[in-house]
Amino acid sequence: MAIGGTRVNPSKFHKNQIPLYLYLVPIAVFMGAPIIYIINHAFKPMDELFAFPPRFFVSHPSMVNFRNLFQTAAGSSIPISRYIFNSLVVTLAVVLLSVLISTMAGFALSKMNFRLKGPIFEVNNIALMFVATAVTIPRYLTINTLGILDTYFAHILPLIAMPVCLFLIKQFIDGVPNSLIEAAQLEGAGSFTIYRKIIIPLTKPAIATGAILAFQSVWTNVETSNLFTSAEGIRTLPFYMNTLTSVGSVQGQGMAAAAALIMFVPNLLLFIVMQSSVMNTMAYSGIK
Amino acid sequence: MGNWLYEKVLPLLEYVPYVLLGCVCAALIAALIYALVRRSQKKPVQRFIRDTLWGYFFIFPWLVGICIFFLSGVADSLLYSFYNLKLDNGLQLIPLTGEDAMGNTVYTPLANYISVFNKELNYPVTLANFAVSLILQLPVIIAFSLIIALMLNGKIRGRGFFRTVFFLPVIIATGPVMNQLTAQGVSSVPMVSQNVITSVLAGMPEFISTPISDLFSQLILILWNSGIQILIFLAGLQKVPTAMYEAAKIDGASGWETFWKITLPTLRSMILLNSIYTVVTLATGSTNPIIDLIYNATYAVTKGYSYAAAMTWMYTVIVAILLLITFLIIREKKEKKSKDIWRRDVESAKRGMQSKKVRKLLERGKAA
Repeated sequence: MAIGGTRVNPSKFHKNQIPLYLYLVPIAVFMGAPIIYIINHAFKPMDELFAFPPRFFVSHPSMVNFRNLFQTAAGSSIPISRYIFNSLVVTLAVVLLSVLISTMAGFALSKMNFRLKGPIFEVNNIALMFVATAVTIPRYLTINTLGILDTYFAHILPLIAMPVCLFLIKQFIDGVPNSLIEAAQLEGAGSFTIYRKIIIPLTKPAIATGAILAFQSVWTNVETSNLFTSAEGIRTLPFYMNTLTSVGSVQGQGMAAAAALIMFVPNLLLFIVMQSSVMNTMAYSGIK
Repeated sequence: MGNWLYEKVLPLLEYVPYVLLGCVCAALIAALIYALVRRSQKKPVQRFIRDTLWGYFFIFPWLVGICIFFLSGVADSLLYSFYNLKLDNGLQLIPLTGEDAMGNTVYTPLANYISVFNKELNYPVTLANFAVSLILQLPVIIAFSLIIALMLNGKIRGRGFFRTVFFLPVIIATGPVMNQLTAQGVSSVPMVSQNVITSVLAGMPEFISTPISDLFSQLILILWNSGIQILIFLAGLQKVPTAMYEAAKIDGASGWETFWKITLPTLRSMILLNSIYTVVTLATGSTNPIIDLIYNATYAVTKGYSYAAAMTWMYTVIVAILLLITFLIIREKKEKKSKDIWRRDVESAKRGMQSKKVRKLLERGKAA
């Protein structure tokens, strides 16, 4: 079997690989089905969207859904660029901050000794298990008390502390050998240098995974726009897409399909970029 | 009893997260002052004070976030579950009251919890079904993602492409696209689920056969949900030192042996991480029927938020128990195994020493 920490993509095809492909390709077809479906669905003209029995592939691709979407968007009072800008600001802020905060907290919880460390990690475990839908109303009250309704903070702050992200990163930092840190301390490195020079480079796979998770939870988040904002100008792209497509008209279905494709593309790009950093990073872990 | 609870105990709940935050703040400030005083006296700052300061410094931003935005919500929902919450004009907390046998008004703090069982007749059944399907799905997801991760870690062309394909379903799994796909029947294995499995399952009692047939009808859906797990395993596989594989190869170990003796033990912590992650995502994911129940109850006229909060807390306790079980199973194996090997070695060594032959030899030696 193909176990072995290989870091190089083989340049040539080898016949040993054939059995692997025999497993991978059929599963990949199943796994790829939703993506193919999304892409196909977005290009279906009206009669195919509502065909019964529904069809998986498009037979007469057309751009009519996208055209409808952009026409409706052009007709609204606030330009779509405003929503895109809002989404970009919010997403970027949340991803960067949540990764920063999670790695810092993960480092402290995993490699440092101080009081209250145990209870704090238990708090994270409780937060991990709790159903997020159930805290929406108290969260609204908190945001109201803080006076940040209708600001970017209402989008950003509630999502920054991601328990899943912290748990993931903490678990990975546990795997960083203590001897590396002790060696750095002997060389005179402070906690911050250790964090920057050892922890961050060695946990890149976890950071990439956490970043993808954070991105996903923000980019498709309708809740914050729905609950914590009332002014149109501060709401984000997914909310706008939802309002466009939830009209309930026949056109709405087609526009929803097109919107789904548009929302999906940045996710794909991010993953392709992050994918390379999930791999190959442990190659220079420094301990043999 | 109820009166005392409402007047003294419950209002304190709201302050729990802030007390935690306050404790850490106070400790931080105390440590800081102590360090400054030591420094002004030109004495070296003690090590544990320095550690505390750095530890709190690193954890502080996260702690503030979780306390204010999450923990306060959790504490509030626990508080509200003992009240009747009204949002008419501002927030109103009405203590729950009822009449006892004598016709007197008494406080009944647990009324919401009891009414969950009265109003939601299928709630316990849904919970039990969820627990069973979780137990069935967890090993499938873990095994599948481990196998895929092993394959994707190997020497094949187009690894990047395959990795992307296997991860992509995660990205869209949250959207309404998933519902459309399920409605179209893409998510089940068509022929298999209808013929072979039903005939096998027909002989089994219903409480076993239902979850298993569900498992097969959702098989593709389960596989779609394992993208993150594959990613975590892939990252874990990178940590397995190549030198170990080389050494094993030189010693003549087959791929199968290498997997059981090297790969799996190294990945054990990742398996634990993945299992917990899987349980959490399955329990709090949007496709979970219980989340639907809770969500609907929150905005239903007859039920309301405090009722939904009671439901949530019961659910959280059950999820916690499931998590604990998962944790214990995977943990215990690890310790047991290592202990067993250790004990086996020691005991076999002892036995070797005290076997009859050895004893005789020893005695002869002594005699001579």
